[in-house]
Amino acid sequence: MRAIRAFTLLLTSSALSVGALAQPRLGLPAFRVIVHPSNPVASVERKFLADAFLKKTTRWSHDQAIRPVDQRSDSVARNKFSEEVLRQPVDAVKNYWQQIIFTGRDVPPPELDSDEDVVKYVLKYPGGLGYVSGTANLNGAKVVTLQ
Amino acid sequence: MIVPPASCWKWVIVTHLHQRSVFRRGGVSRLRLAGLCAFALQFSAGALELNVPGEPIQVHGFVSQGFIKSNANNYLAESTRGSFEFTEVGLNFSKELTDRLRVGVQLFARRLGPLDGFDANFDWFYLDYRWADWLGIRAGRVKLPFGLYNEINDIDSARVPILLPQSIYPTSNRDFLLAQTGGEIYGRFSLASAGALEYRAYGGTLFLRSTTPPNSPYQIGKLNAPYVVGGRILWETPLEGLRVGGSLQALRLDADFFFNQSIFGPLQAAGILPPEFTGKVGVQIPATLWVGSAEYSAGALLLAAEYSRWYVSLNSSQSVLFPNISTMVSERFYGMLAYRVKPWLHPGLYYSGYYTDVQNRSGRANMQHDAAATLRFDINEYWLLKLEGHFMYGTAALDPTLNHDRPLTDLQKTWGVLLVKTTAYF
Repeated sequence: MRAIRAFTLLLTSSALSVGALAQPRLGLPAFRVIVHPSNPVASVERKFLADAFLKKTTRWSHDQAIRPVDQRSDSVARNKFSEEVLRQPVDAVKNYWQQIIFTGRDVPPPELDSDEDVVKYVLKYPGGLGYVSGTANLNGAKVVTLQ
Repeated sequence: MIVPPASCWKWVIVTHLHQRSVFRRGGVSRLRLAGLCAFALQFSAGALELNVPGEPIQVHGFVSQGFIKSNANNYLAESTRGSFEFTEVGLNFSKELTDRLRVGVQLFARRLGPLDGFDANFDWFYLDYRWADWLGIRAGRVKLPFGLYNEINDIDSARVPILLPQSIYPTSNRDFLLAQTGGEIYGRFSLASAGALEYRAYGGTLFLRSTTPPNSPYQIGKLNAPYVVGGRILWETPLEGLRVGGSLQALRLDADFFFNQSIFGPLQAAGILPPEFTGKVGVQIPATLWVGSAEYSAGALLLAAEYSRWYVSLNSSQSVLFPNISTMVSERFYGMLAYRVKPWLHPGLYYSGYYTDVQNRSGRANMQHDAAATLRFDINEYWLLKLEGHFMYGTAALDPTLNHDRPLTDLQKTWGVLLVKTTAYF
């Protein structure tokens, strides 16, 4: 019986530690989408968000220019965001940007090092759009829901 | 009568619109490669941002070095002995002036066998005003949106194969097909649940520099393209990752050929050419190209297929020396598969076919089939290495001048090519 309990505990702790990568804390999302507090948008569709980060869509519905900002390619939030919103691995997205950069059509969103930097960026630009981990201090940035 | 054989005229057409290196793009600006390299290498890896007022200037670049070896027939370079004449360098700068207006420029230099010679040129430069997502305008030297991948034909880091399927994207043809100088309108419409539609339409000209081939009975004088117009529509279907579309392009090349007295003199004496003939022959080569495209990209998988036909004719002011050619239709197609097995390992396969004349598909000189396999290794975020093998059947896309002026019918029918290429980029 003790062995079963120990095995269950081991399984549970392993699951929690794996889950901690994708979902930093139980009950918290892996990432939250944030915008400037003055942005009237309350929710966005996944496709809109994907197009905004790939710069296929460049303006909010109220005609403000969208300023997307990414996180480092090795960050948990970036990988989760890429998988769930862009539906492509980060490598594939980087390849997409190679095509865009060297054909002169645009440049990728800036890649910032931390949640804190992303929040600062979004607060700096009225059209700012970013994502941060579930535990990030938002410092006044507005969270929008993902439809 | 000293008139080159019919195959020679076909070669002239092909020269203009498919493979040859007779004409090269005129340089807008020339820097030496060494200077460009030195400038590029001053920067560390990663996109650069120069500190100027407002938003920073973005700087990106790449340096590629390749090796090409074939077991028979020289392909793109002196490949039978193995050639390192396979180098590309690019450096671009862009800046967002307002949230609707961008400017950018890319310098590019390459060495590929006899093509180009490390002269740096403006690969593209533009002023881009994006009024709305559904309408933008670019003016300057703009890459041509022909098929799925024409714009990345010289961007090694943006694709899996070293050589894109050469039937539709002949690398030795980049001077004609890569970019035009003029204007372009573009945009993207959301079709709600039906996906989205992306369009581009352009018009302008090509700046070309003429180079007379060695041992030629004529000198090439003026060479220009009075127009190049076209467009592309891509439908992003409701099935995410699937896009289908079509591209159409029309252009005309005008050239003056000056024949040597030793060629036309006897013809004049025999009364075949009029006495007032001075040796100058004006030639117009109108061409229309179209391609249908389909691509499916899902996660690590990429599938692509394209089918194309090119319609080319030749109108000459003196048909004795330079016969008119009614429209010749070439056929080009490929299917490609790539799958990212690991973040650092990306294999790919394609089969590409090319017929110079759909009315005559037989004989090695009228076709070329190419089965290719590539391994792309992403060593890190800024550096990659590729290995690629090609099994070739047919000689239609080979260059006689690279093969000691032997006719295509005399070249090896079945042959192979091995390529190795490494690229650093930021």
